[in-house]
Amino acid sequence: MNLAYLHLVLNHFPIVGTVIGLGLFVVSFVGKNDDLKRASLMVLAAVALLALPTFFSGIAAQRAIGRDPAVSAVLIERHEGAAILALFFMEIAGALALVGLWQRHRVSTGKPGSWNLMAILLFSVVTAGLMARVGTTGGDIRHPEIRLAQEVTGTQESGLSAIVHVFEPSPGKFADLMLISKWWWAFMMDLHFIGLALLIGTVGILNLRMLGFAKQLPVAPLHRLTPWAMGAFGINTLTGILAFIGMPNYYTFNVAFWLKMLALLLLGLNVAAFYLTDAFHSVEHLGPGEDAPLLAKFLAATSLVLWFAVIALGRYIQPFTDTISVR
Amino acid sequence: MVLPPLFLRTIEESGFSTWLRESESPFAFYFVLLFHTFGLALLVGANAVIDLRLLGIEPDIPLAPLKRLFGIMWLGFAISAASGVLLLIAYPTKALTNPVFYTKLTFIGFAVWVMTKLKSRVFNDSTLNEAAMIGRDRTLAKWSLVLWIGVMTAGRLLAYTYKYLTFPC
Repeated sequence: MNLAYLHLVLNHFPIVGTVIGLGLFVVSFVGKNDDLKRASLMVLAAVALLALPTFFSGIAAQRAIGRDPAVSAVLIERHEGAAILALFFMEIAGALALVGLWQRHRVSTGKPGSWNLMAILLFSVVTAGLMARVGTTGGDIRHPEIRLAQEVTGTQESGLSAIVHVFEPSPGKFADLMLISKWWWAFMMDLHFIGLALLIGTVGILNLRMLGFAKQLPVAPLHRLTPWAMGAFGINTLTGILAFIGMPNYYTFNVAFWLKMLALLLLGLNVAAFYLTDAFHSVEHLGPGEDAPLLAKFLAATSLVLWFAVIALGRYIQPFTDTISVR
Repeated sequence: MVLPPLFLRTIEESGFSTWLRESESPFAFYFVLLFHTFGLALLVGANAVIDLRLLGIEPDIPLAPLKRLFGIMWLGFAISAASGVLLLIAYPTKALTNPVFYTKLTFIGFAVWVMTKLKSRVFNDSTLNEAAMIGRDRTLAKWSLVLWIGVMTAGRLLAYTYKYLTFPC
């Protein structure tokens, strides 16, 4: 398997997933079904996570087919611009979904914000529309049978797609913008490190407590530090995406980068396992001196190992430049 | 041209320094850098939790058991310091001719001083009640956050601001 293949496998999930997440979300209002609403928010968050490797593998797919004379570079660039715009909306929708899940979880102390639900609806509707365009422009690259006649070489567009196209960044110009000054780059990396420290601190103390460290701490207030971890993860996702857009070739053909992405996906599964099994309920009300059950300990240990793996693999991106070749 | 002090070249020409700097092995320079980052994560991460608590973010977290975090901080500090010395051996000219490096050391000095202050004032004084502890030490917690962010920022800037990578000529 190569990265171009990975792009072709993954690219269906963000499109179909957004539609499913949005569909469930809307149905949950009609049916006033809270469990369904929760499930729809999880789908939107999961799709936002899965969209990252989908987006990041695009450059490899481009490299794999770029030399084929039947492939139009203009169409690829249009697809990439559409993908960048859609990705930002999708990540915002995913972040809002996580905030929504957190608010619902904390329902005892406050009413889940309706502003949040409106924002999720707005952003996921826009995302679904933009993703449809990402899919169409992506399909156009390799499927002349679905292209409109005038689109073969140019990007003349009409109607709504012409309007959307105005807002789509040119990938090359966007990359130049990220590289415009080494101080801007240094600032992004600084934020990435500050986010790292905040994330490890807030997630780490909860995991260590579940493993039996500082057992006199009750779990519930430590767990309430989660929004800080989510904020830090948001900062690092944003700065990470911007860095990738700035130097896509540096990250794409890099073993350490892809293993880091794998570790992040596994962390997504870890978080899902924590909240969807008994693990969370078994530790939620643990008081001073009380021991966490084995499943919670296992998930806490894997979370710690994976977060430190993410740090380690991030550090090894630099020496592992050009460790993957695509043709 | 005014050359940097010659002892920097002596360090750089040593076998160990050369190996750290030039070896293709993933267990040379980047391995040290990795541990420097692990140390940072433990040291600053644990500090951040205590600072957030003292700033009143999550007042239901009891203070006394957080004292155990100081063990993690000192472990992180030891890892950072040891790996920092190795990084210095690998690129002595790069670090020691850069004013940012001394700024970073100064920030570290103040940050660790604040850290020990926090421990003795907040955690070692059993006569104080919790409300009094926190009221008094918010300032320390704020300074702790600011100084550690300063340490990390100065550390990141070292990669962008050096005058010499290795000894000139």
